Amino acid sequence: MESLYLLIPVALVFCAVAIRLLLWAIDSGQYEDLDKESWRILNDEEDAESTRRAVRSGSGSTEDEAP
Amino acid sequence: MNSPLRYTPDTSALEAQQCFHCGEAVRPGDDFAVEIEGQLQPMCCPGCRAVASLIAGSGMGRFYTQRTSFNERPAEPVADENQREFKVYDDPALLDRFSSVLADGRREARLLIGGVTCAACTWLIESSLLRAAGIDGASLNLAQSRLDLSFDPQKIPISEIFARIQALGYRAQPWHSSAQRDQMQSEYRRDLRRLAVAGIGMMQVGMFAIALHAGDLQGIAREYEQLLRAVSLLVTAFVVWFSARGFFEAAWRHLRQRTLVMDLPVALAIGLAFGASAWATLAQRGEVYFDSVVMFTFLLLLARFVEKRLRLRDSLAWQDAELTLPDAVRVRAGDDWELRPRSGIGAGERLMLRSGDTVPLDGQVVAGESAVREDSFSGESLPRRVGPGDSVFAGTLNEGASIEIESTGSYAESRLAALQRSINSARLAKPALASLADRVASVFISVVLLATAITALVWWQIDAERALWVALSVLVISCPCALSLATPASLANSAAMLRRLGVIVYGENALESLAASRDFVFDKTGTLTTGAFRIEQTVKLGSISDRSELLALAAELQRHANHPIASAFSAFETRADIDGVHPVVGAGVEGYWQGRRLRIGSENFCRELAPDLPAHPETPLLWIALVAEGEALAWIGMVDEVRSEAEALIRHLGSQNLRCELLTGDSSERARALGADLAFDRVAIGQSPEDKLQRVVELQAAGAVVTMIGDGLNDAPVLQRADASIAVAGATDLARAQADFVIERGDLEQIARLQRCARRTRAVILQNFSWAIAYNLIGIPAAAMGWIPPWAAALGMSASSLLVVANAARLRYERG
Repeated sequence: MESLYLLIPVALVFCAVAIRLLLWAIDSGQYEDLDKESWRILNDEEDAESTRRAVRSGSGSTEDEAP
Repeated sequence: MNSPLRYTPDTSALEAQQCFHCGEAVRPGDDFAVEIEGQLQPMCCPGCRAVASLIAGSGMGRFYTQRTSFNERPAEPVADENQREFKVYDDPALLDRFSSVLADGRREARLLIGGVTCAACTWLIESSLLRAAGIDGASLNLAQSRLDLSFDPQKIPISEIFARIQALGYRAQPWHSSAQRDQMQSEYRRDLRRLAVAGIGMMQVGMFAIALHAGDLQGIAREYEQLLRAVSLLVTAFVVWFSARGFFEAAWRHLRQRTLVMDLPVALAIGLAFGASAWATLAQRGEVYFDSVVMFTFLLLLARFVEKRLRLRDSLAWQDAELTLPDAVRVRAGDDWELRPRSGIGAGERLMLRSGDTVPLDGQVVAGESAVREDSFSGESLPRRVGPGDSVFAGTLNEGASIEIESTGSYAESRLAALQRSINSARLAKPALASLADRVASVFISVVLLATAITALVWWQIDAERALWVALSVLVISCPCALSLATPASLANSAAMLRRLGVIVYGENALESLAASRDFVFDKTGTLTTGAFRIEQTVKLGSISDRSELLALAAELQRHANHPIASAFSAFETRADIDGVHPVVGAGVEGYWQGRRLRIGSENFCRELAPDLPAHPETPLLWIALVAEGEALAWIGMVDEVRSEAEALIRHLGSQNLRCELLTGDSSERARALGADLAFDRVAIGQSPEDKLQRVVELQAAGAVVTMIGDGLNDAPVLQRADASIAVAGATDLARAQADFVIERGDLEQIARLQRCARRTRAVILQNFSWAIAYNLIGIPAAAMGWIPPWAAALGMSASSLLVVANAARLRYERG
């Protein structure tokens, strides 16, 4: 059971690292817009697909560059 | 039950078609349909058609299948003119206020976007902007409607970006930071940080606690028990210091004001349980409750966070009256007019207002005649005629011809700014209704403290050694976890349920106030009435006796008028044999028919042409005359169209013995007649925003809990002051921002539903309280007898909390 003297401090270090990471993520605004991200994560793939389609057919970009 | 959100219109239904873009009814005969994703979809107006064809045409039609609510109805397209208006933002001095230059010459700008309703909107705006050359970053924050842009001003001017956003049917404005908004954001981050730390801490301490509880049951070496307790103490101390700090601060703040709030028993429980456990660890005897402390902290922070987030989601709390004013103003410079930012204009400048412009500053007309629509101040939907010498006010709408005005002061001196100030002072003066939870808390605290004192005293006589520990266990077992979860959990669930039904909840405690409210105050224009007019009666006077022929003449004339009344005629057939039709500002419309002059409009205007026009009938209607040269043809009586559900709603409220009052800015007899028709208990007409506010203050002074239902700028201070307030669909952003509830899709029946839901929420909160108190009635005596070991206390606490949360969750699945 002496291993506890090593394992518990290790767990605490992990804990501290996790907290630091989470606080960094919150402070850099990554949790600011939960609704949007929860929607985007489900629609990401189609999103990329439609953009590709638009670029391939040239409909979106060329038209838009004209003033 | 209604389907949650009908955002794709049901075209097979026989009822009037809904616009595919904005969800408003499509008027029969209009044809603005657009092909989207291979299907022809109905549109209600040229504005929606333009936006929808742009979206479909640029390959983003998928937006319509992704969105979760209808779009806002866009303004009529006036492409070139609008672009010119945005040009003012290209001015570097103005641009610098909301953007900054990066090292490589690109710029970063922040815009506030109006009309963003769901995540799909953010996708639409971001991806259509990112396709434009010169824009290399666009990120729209849904919660704040904030667009962060980075672009190259050499390749694309900011005015072009504004124009693009507008073309998609959204409104764009420079982002101005406001103290309130910044505070909301920093509070959100702080809550989230505290929640995160409490969550991770709970997992750690929970892990050690399992070992400790197992040790209690099957034996554990003293050395390891002490080790586990010591690390638990370390982690818990951090969580209490970091996450639970808010409870201590709030409790102390209220204690100094001599009020007992729910945060006090929370702070007491956390503080004492932690203190006792820490002491037990250091003294190496007694019980520890570290797991209960962190779990309680986490659960409570979580419930409050969820409740607050639902409430503040797309909150408009920062809406300011000034945002309704245009940023660019045409100012006289020498012999010419130039566009200048409004913010730099003071008194004595000559401004040009075209038809359809919002008046940017208070001023006096110096040239031209027009009509201004002032419903924002007076609630009167009919425009007021103005000519040289008359005053016009910022925030009203110039509906007639172009006029020139001389400004009388900056925004701060305007009547609109005064209105905004009265909103702010109403916010401060709003009487605080003690929430149910806080009232329970004050009783609860005294009982628990008394029980603890008695326990300590009795045990002192029996076994002085154990007295302290038993007294502490009474305090810990009485842990107000379930009690303090009762309210936020219930509120969060009802808010979620209401949102599904199309009602947005913003106000704290608003559901409780609404459930307790016995006085309902209504605004008329836009709230009970749709703001549109309907023909009620036609009185024939001359040679034409066929009603439909008279109305056809009137309809053809009115087709050329830009006046709220004119829309009443749009449903009638017109005739082609009238020519030379021209509207006369503030008077009516004139035209030629079979060689005779024809007029429709006000009494004086028509009498000029037909002096024998008799006085209009007595009935309180809005009368307009139709005359030919030398011959009076008809009086046409109009009424404001009352929303069809209004009568049922007032009857429903009346049947519960609730008082309904009508306060309207409209000073005509028609308003009084409407109030009588709908069986209001009291009707007051000709009320200014100040009068309305005064009336609500009076009611509150007499002890009433008042609910206000309104929509306009003029209602904003009252909405803020009332105990509970409801803004109906189509309400101005400013009114929405002040209201506790916003009803989307102008369905007044929602008010009855909302009120039922408020009462049910209160019932569930009371059930939760009863359960929490029952738990304490069993737990406290057991603890006082010294029967409760720490693991049983932890179990009891979790079970009672879960029960409360589960009971509250029932609200979410209630049927509307």
